[in-house]
Amino acid sequence: MGWQSANSMVHALQSIRSPRHLRALLSRRSTNSAHTNTGASLSTHIQTWNDARGYATQVQPAAPEINFEKFQALPARIIPTSPAYFSGSPKFIDHSLRLEGILAKYASLPTVPAREAPRMAWFRLPQFREFVGEPIPTKKYKGLLRILQRLNRIDPAITPREVRDTLNDFLRPGNPYDIKLAPRTLDELGRARGKGKRKASHAVVHLVEGEGEVLINGKSLTEAFPRVHDRESATWALRCSSRLDKYNVWARVKGGGTTGQAEAITLALARALLVHEPALKPILRRAGVITVDPRRVERKKPGRKKARKMPTWVKR
Amino acid sequence: MVSPLCWGCLTLLRQAPRTILPSPTAVSQAAAFHTSAAIYARVPAPRGRDSAVGYRRSTSANIKKKRKVSERARPPPVGERKALRKRIVLSNPNALEVEGMPELSEETMVDSRLRGTVVGLPVPMLDQLRAVQAFKPKQGWSIFRRPGTVLRRETLEMGRLFENISGEGEDRGVVIKRIISGQRKSGKSVHLLQAMAMGFIKKWVVFTVPEAGELVSATNSYAPLSDENPHLYVQNEATAALLSRTAAANKAVLSKLRVSQHHPTLSAAKPGMTLEDLAKIGVQDPASAWTVFQALWLELTSTSAVPGLEKNFTPRPPILVTVDGLAHWMTHSKYRSAQFEPIHAHDLVFVRHFLSLLKPGQDKPTLPNGGALLYATSTTTNPPSVYSFDVALKQVAARHAGVDPSSPEFPQPEAYSKTDPRVFEALSSPKPTAAKEGMLEHQVLGGVTRDEARGFLEYFARSGLLRETINDELVGEKWTLAGGGVIGELERLGRRVRVAA
Repeated sequence: MGWQSANSMVHALQSIRSPRHLRALLSRRSTNSAHTNTGASLSTHIQTWNDARGYATQVQPAAPEINFEKFQALPARIIPTSPAYFSGSPKFIDHSLRLEGILAKYASLPTVPAREAPRMAWFRLPQFREFVGEPIPTKKYKGLLRILQRLNRIDPAITPREVRDTLNDFLRPGNPYDIKLAPRTLDELGRARGKGKRKASHAVVHLVEGEGEVLINGKSLTEAFPRVHDRESATWALRCSSRLDKYNVWARVKGGGTTGQAEAITLALARALLVHEPALKPILRRAGVITVDPRRVERKKPGRKKARKMPTWVKR
Repeated sequence: MVSPLCWGCLTLLRQAPRTILPSPTAVSQAAAFHTSAAIYARVPAPRGRDSAVGYRRSTSANIKKKRKVSERARPPPVGERKALRKRIVLSNPNALEVEGMPELSEETMVDSRLRGTVVGLPVPMLDQLRAVQAFKPKQGWSIFRRPGTVLRRETLEMGRLFENISGEGEDRGVVIKRIISGQRKSGKSVHLLQAMAMGFIKKWVVFTVPEAGELVSATNSYAPLSDENPHLYVQNEATAALLSRTAAANKAVLSKLRVSQHHPTLSAAKPGMTLEDLAKIGVQDPASAWTVFQALWLELTSTSAVPGLEKNFTPRPPILVTVDGLAHWMTHSKYRSAQFEPIHAHDLVFVRHFLSLLKPGQDKPTLPNGGALLYATSTTTNPPSVYSFDVALKQVAARHAGVDPSSPEFPQPEAYSKTDPRVFEALSSPKPTAAKEGMLEHQVLGGVTRDEARGFLEYFARSGLLRETINDELVGEKWTLAGGGVIGELERLGRRVRVAA
C-alpha cells in the first residue's frame, strides 16, 4: 500500500539516509508514545512496524503488508493508525496534535517568566527532521517550538510528569546546558584577565584596581590610538559603567588594524571587568560589549576582483 | 461655428505634416521599408566643420577623451598659501570672555595656589612673543578670546627658578640647562613659550630658535666661515633673522645697555652705542651678521667693562636661550660641502655656538650673569629619528642622577649599532666646576594631574566651548582619554563639539 504513493517512497528513502543512532532513539521514543494512540484497529501491527524501523539499513515501507489471513472478520475498509496518514508529514502532525492536546489540558497551570524557565536544548531543525523522518518546513517547526516553550514555562514546581516526559522527548541527546564553567577569579595580585577578538586582532587585558591609567603594548592610550574614536571604543566598557577612574588597564594586543585592535580591547576589557564585578553584566550587555562580533574578511573568489566585485565589462 | 484653433495657446498653428498623402516630391520612389511616413524621418543635418571627418581621423565614438580645459583657475600669488598656513590668530571674538582670569605677572608666576588655573598672557607682551615666534600655528590659540596658558607643576617650578635667578638671594645668577622632551602634544613648545614670557617679565634677554630644523634643511644661504676654518659654515641670513628677532623683542632691555667691550673685528661697533643698535647692524648687513652676533654675545656675557669704557657699563641681565626641535641638530644637515659631502649639523657655527653652551664653561659659567638654556625636542616638525641622540639623552639623565659613566648601570648604545660620536660628545656635559652653573639635565614632560586638568577644562567651559558640567567623572574620563592628561589631547577633547545623535 505504501509503495504505491510517491510520498511513502520519499519517507522510505529518508529512513535509509538517517543515521543509525538517531533511528534507535526514535524507535524507543515512538514505542512510548504508541500508548497514546489507542483505539486504532491496526495497533498491533504498528507496534511491530515501529520495532522494525530500528534498522536503518533496511528499506522500510510506510507500513508492512497487511496479512489478511489473520483477520477474524474482514473490515469493510482498512483504516490507518494515524488519521494524518495521508498527509505529507503524518508523524509531525501527530506530534503537534499531541503537544496541543497536552497544552490544552494544562493551560490553566501557572507559568513563570521565560528567563526563569529551565533552559532546554531542543532539537535543531535538521536533527528534528531526522527524528521524524519527514521534510519539515522551518516555519512549522517554529510553531512546534513555540508550543514546547509554552509548556516549558509551566511552573517547574508543579509541572505534571506527563508534561515533563513529553518535553524530554524533544531534547537533543546529551545536555549542553549542564556544563558549568568554573567562575573566573582574580589572581593573587588582584588582577583580572580577559581575552577578546575582533577582525584579525586579539587582545589580552589585565585589569587591576587603580586610577584610570591605560597602557597598551607599553604605550599610552594616545600613542597607541591617535584617533579619539578608537580610544573611546577601547575604554567603552569602563566608560559606560562609570568605572573609568577605578581601574588600571594593561593590555597586549596584536594583529589586525587600529579599529580591530581597539575593539578587541573593548571585548577583553569587558570580560576582565566581569571578573571584578559580575553584577555589571546587564549594563555591559546593553552597552554592547558582551556580544561578540564574529565577522571576518570575506574571502576572494575566483573570477572576481575582490570578494564581490566583478571585473569591468568589456565588449569583446 | 467653433474655431479649431485654441486661442489660448495657439498650438495648432504649427500643424503636423500631413501624413495621409505624402507629397511625391518629398518621398523617394523606392519601396519604403517602414510603414510610417518617410516624412517623419529626421532630415540629416548639413555637414558642418565639426562633423567633418578628416583624412585618417578616428571615426569611432569618442566618449572617454575629454576636451582640454584651456581656462584654468589662477593659482594664488606666491607665498599666499604659506602665509595662510603659518598664520597665527591669537583671539576669537566669538569665544566668551572669562571673568576674573588672572594675568601672568611676577606674583602669579610663582603662586602655587594658582596651580591648575589658566593665566592670560599680558597684552603688551604679545608683540614681543610674536617677535620671537613663540606661538605656533596649531596650538589652538584661535579658539579663545585671548591667549592664556595653564600653570602646571613644571611651570611653577620654572617660575620659582627664574625668580631666584633674578632675585637677590644666593641663587642669583645661576645657570640652568635643560633638555625638554616628552611625547606628542605634551606641551613642550608651550613650556618654552611660558619660559619666554617669564623671561620678558623678569626683563631678561631672550634668544630663541623657534624652528631648529630650518637651520639644517638647506633653505638658508651658507658659506665657509673663513679661510682658516674651511670646514665651518656660517649662515648669515639665519643669523640676521635671529638678531632681528632678538632686537625687536628685547628692545626695552637692549636699548639701555651700551657697548663696553672692544670689538676689533667689527669696526662699526662704536663704544657707547646701544646694544639694540649693535644688533641692527647685523640685521641691515647680513654679511656681517655672524660677527655682530658674536659681539652682542660678548657684550651680554661680560661681567665688567674693559678699562676706559667703565662709564658705558651697566650690569647685564640674565639670558634665556630656547631652541625648539633639537633632534634636527643631531645628524647630518642637508647642506653639502664643496666636495659634495654632507655637512654635519655641528659644523654650522650657529648650531655649534648654541650646542657649546650646554658644556660647562672653562673658568667662568657659560652665562656669567645667569640665565637658562631650555632646548626642547619637537614632534610636530617631523624630526629625524636619531638613535645616538636617544641614548645620549638617557646618559644625560643618568649623569644628572649621579651614575658614574664607567659603571655598568650607565646607559650605553647597543653593541654594533651605528652611532654618531659627535652627538655623544656634544651632550656629554660633566659636572661643572663653577658653583653658579647647573648641570645639564633632561626633563620629561608628561601629562598634567587631574586637578590641573580640571582647571584647564573649566577654562574651556567658561569660554563657552565645553557645554557640559565639569565634575570629577567628566574630568577623569577626559584625563584617561587624553592618555593620562596629555595637555594637547585634553585641548583636542575639550574643543570637540558634541552633537546629540
